[in-house]
Amino acid sequence: MLPFGSCTWTRAQYRGVNDVAVSVDYVVRETAGNLWRNRLMSLAAMLTIAVSLALVGSALLIKQGVATSTIAWRGGVQLLVFMQPNASPAQNRAINVELKQMNQVQSYTYVDKAQSYQEFRRYFANQPDLLNAATESQIPPSYRVVLKNPAEAPAVGSIFNGEAGVKAVEYNSAAIRTLERVSSIAQAVIIGLAIVLLLSASVLILNVIRVAIFSRRREVMVMKLVGATNWFIRVPFMLEGFTQGVLGAVIAGGAVIGIRSLFNYLIQHYRVQLLNGFVLTGHDVLMTELVVLLIGIVVGTGGSALAVRRYLEV
Amino acid sequence: MIRLENVYKSYAAGHYALRGVTLEIDRGEFVFLIGSSGSGKSTLLRLLLREERADQGSVWVAGKDLSEIPSWKVPYFRRNIGSIFQDFRLLPNKSAYENVAFALEVIGKSRKTAQTQVPQILELVGLADKMHRLPHELSGGEQQRVAIARAFINRPLILLADEPTGNLDPETSWGVMRLLERINRTGTAVVMATHDVGIVDQMRRRVIEIDEGLITRDQVRGVYGLGVR
Repeated sequence: MLPFGSCTWTRAQYRGVNDVAVSVDYVVRETAGNLWRNRLMSLAAMLTIAVSLALVGSALLIKQGVATSTIAWRGGVQLLVFMQPNASPAQNRAINVELKQMNQVQSYTYVDKAQSYQEFRRYFANQPDLLNAATESQIPPSYRVVLKNPAEAPAVGSIFNGEAGVKAVEYNSAAIRTLERVSSIAQAVIIGLAIVLLLSASVLILNVIRVAIFSRRREVMVMKLVGATNWFIRVPFMLEGFTQGVLGAVIAGGAVIGIRSLFNYLIQHYRVQLLNGFVLTGHDVLMTELVVLLIGIVVGTGGSALAVRRYLEV
Repeated sequence: MIRLENVYKSYAAGHYALRGVTLEIDRGEFVFLIGSSGSGKSTLLRLLLREERADQGSVWVAGKDLSEIPSWKVPYFRRNIGSIFQDFRLLPNKSAYENVAFALEVIGKSRKTAQTQVPQILELVGLADKMHRLPHELSGGEQQRVAIARAFINRPLILLADEPTGNLDPETSWGVMRLLERINRTGTAVVMATHDVGIVDQMRRRVIEIDEGLITRDQVRGVYGLGVR
């Protein structure tokens, strides 16, 4: 046997040796190993996250779509007075004064050509022919009117109908109100369901990580014995939850894209008049995907962080 | 190297595992800690590893007051201390080589470091030819040698041994003791809790006896003594 003094390294070499916080290679191997060992439970957690996030995603899409299709009616507007695109300033002023003096009117706003054109482009985003045919100068500006008593809308509207410079008058129909109400109920139900599912996903992840911690308690004990830092021990477990959250979110992201095409198909196929403006732009979908990913990360990391705090004594 | 001043430690209110222990162990000493089960030996070792904190009094190890080390720094402190146990504490699904390399890996050493250092240390403990065996393919004595290799790979200033021969037959025990003696000769202080009368009596090293949380004897070249059997 060799004498101990023959080692090629010395104590001095270990003083102040800076340890790399956590080696990437080690963490990746540990995390992948943990996920594989608990693959059935991991899959369950991931799918639960995916389903709940797909619900969150579709609720957001519905919200955005309905918001676009009812943009002119936001804020309790009951009456729209469209002016001729070529109405003179004098005609415009006359309508303005009339609205101001009218007892039944609570408030009103004027939407000029530029703003109307922007809303028009958004509303008809999936009808490119129409978009190409129209220019800003052809778009009618309008007055959005809030009445003290909504029931008076037809009466007030008929006063403006036929006045000089007025192109058309529209009332907030029962159909639009129903659409808004149905969509907000649908959103509430979907979000409620999603929250319940997300909670159960967190608990599932917490349990997966708890099992992983328990099955590796010997390793953890040895790690503590030889001086592994707390984060070195924790990180692989937390990364496991994070990965489940992200993978679940990615699946949900795919579902969101599918749901968008389904909406578009249904609306075009059945030519639902009211949902004409139910347009989901690339921007809407991108924002939805980002929200879905963020929630996935929060749920995954949160669940595992909780498990690590409660069950991993370091 | 190790200094305890009037240390008290209780687990349940009113029942003290240590009741005012004061002792000092120098660099490179070899110390046997004896006493019946429940006398406070293990508590003492746990205090030195900072697995427990003293209720009163101060514990100094390797130049540091343990009550002043924040908990996030404890892992760095432990890298100065090797520890071995009666039950070896090896990872059953890793080979002898991997068990030792694991100790380097978790404190952030590269694989290359492990590739040069682990075979050397395993040769030093006499396991060069059994590097790739799993723990269950090794005898108890060999498993304890792997544990010693793991404890010594960082060349600690202090080696704590909690009944390291408790599961071994006398002859194997002596093999382990010779190894600990050689480690001690490199300047590492060895503190060993034991019930092994034969070993304590033959080695004639410093003996500290604990009884009901108090030091009752501290002899430079001591024997186990009749009173505590």
